Amino acid sequence: MSGTLGKVLGLWKDAVSKQAFSLLRFRILRENPICSAGGVVMRSSRHYRTKPTHGIGRYRHLVKVLEPKKKKAKVDVRAINLGTDYEYGVLNIHLTAYDMTLAESYAQYVHRLCNRLSIKVEESYAMPTKTMEVMRLPDQGNKMVLDSVLTTHERVVQISSLSATFAEIFLEILQSNLPEGVKLSVREHTEEDFKGRFKARPELEELLAKLN
Amino acid sequence: MAAPTGRTLLGVARGWRRLDSLWASSPRSRRLSLEAAPSGSRSPWRLLGALCLQRPPLITKPLTPLQQEMADLLQKVETERSLYSDHELRALDEAKRLAKKKADLYDDDQDEQGVTLAQDLEDTWEQAFLQFKPGARVTEADKKNDRTSLHRKLDRNLVLLVREKLGDQDFWMLPQVQWQPGETLRETAERILDKLSENNMEAKFLGNAPCGHYKYKLPKAMRTESDIGVKVFFFKALLLTGDFSQTGKNARHVWVSKEELGDYLQPKYLAQIRRFLLDV
Repeated sequence: MSGTLGKVLGLWKDAVSKQAFSLLRFRILRENPICSAGGVVMRSSRHYRTKPTHGIGRYRHLVKVLEPKKKKAKVDVRAINLGTDYEYGVLNIHLTAYDMTLAESYAQYVHRLCNRLSIKVEESYAMPTKTMEVMRLPDQGNKMVLDSVLTTHERVVQISSLSATFAEIFLEILQSNLPEGVKLSVREHTEEDFKGRFKARPELEELLAKLN
Repeated sequence: MAAPTGRTLLGVARGWRRLDSLWASSPRSRRLSLEAAPSGSRSPWRLLGALCLQRPPLITKPLTPLQQEMADLLQKVETERSLYSDHELRALDEAKRLAKKKADLYDDDQDEQGVTLAQDLEDTWEQAFLQFKPGARVTEADKKNDRTSLHRKLDRNLVLLVREKLGDQDFWMLPQVQWQPGETLRETAERILDKLSENNMEAKFLGNAPCGHYKYKLPKAMRTESDIGVKVFFFKALLLTGDFSQTGKNARHVWVSKEELGDYLQPKYLAQIRRFLLDV
């Protein structure tokens, strides 16, 4: 008897306390705007599913999912001609130098110049380094002696849709800003240029040779 | 930039140029064949093509004091941060061995050092370096201020100016020649190149479009119904090889940089030309 009474009383106390608590919360919520104006917001309510603000920060469902592009995208070599305004297709600007820092910094300059002049830069890559051993014949003796090792570095900046009227000015800028020791070569992009970047695959070549 | 003038020029050119183009694989060999303008509707303006022949700079400009300081600082930072190269490691190794040898006085095991020490190599390199004489940045033509020679101002663009007679007076101007019907303006410019030099000056035209224009009316005495004035279109070319044979005070040509143009050209002409001259 007393137990149930106690329980009932307990329940009643709980109910009362809940009500009191909700009243208290209500008061605190009312006070919230004032204390949030101060800077630090004291959140006293969590985002339950039943609350209207549930899922307020969700954005992932709005963003479109991009499929990761396959690396072997082939660019069609085309020359766009629009009446008297000619546009070049894809051009490769090759910068070759013995000094790597010089080649890289000039490639960087060319890239930034293109960005600035709103010329579309497709890619900016490096060709593999070529090492050359310079052998010298000494005054006495017949044997060639190793004199020095020279490394040739090449950087390529690939641009597209350069208008012919502007190409003239662009090439002049490139040429007059060329540092000493860097060779500049501007060519159209071809299949061989594209294929030259890939490593040779001897097994594949062997198999092909066997087939033929 | 000269790009907007190029665009307006094409607008002007479209009026009298028609495109019957023969396509070839590379843009350079595309030619535009023209029809001669019918004689009835001939424009009262005479057309001239002119050539702006430029010698590109051969060396870079010297660094300003600020740039020099920055370069030195960056170099210092880089050397302090860098790792030893093979040669330096070898030199340090050998220095240690030598010191050890001296300290130990008698060490048989470490006698296989090889014939050439790193120090010897450095000495030979130093010798070779002393024998190398780099070319002079300030040439004699600079010192004499001989403007007809090509060897001055190696770090600037030099433009060719010629002295020609217009009417009674002598004017300094960019070399120009009358356009003949049936050829493109660029071919007119190439003709100038042949006419100018008896000794094969080779120049590279970077594009088919002109880079600037100048228009002037003839003095009232000479004006007629069909001959109001002259329009000159400039084409840029970069000089590859070759030069004039005669130099000195009597020559009728001069190679000048952008600042010195003012000494020779008329103000209005100069104003139009400066718009397409690029200076580093």
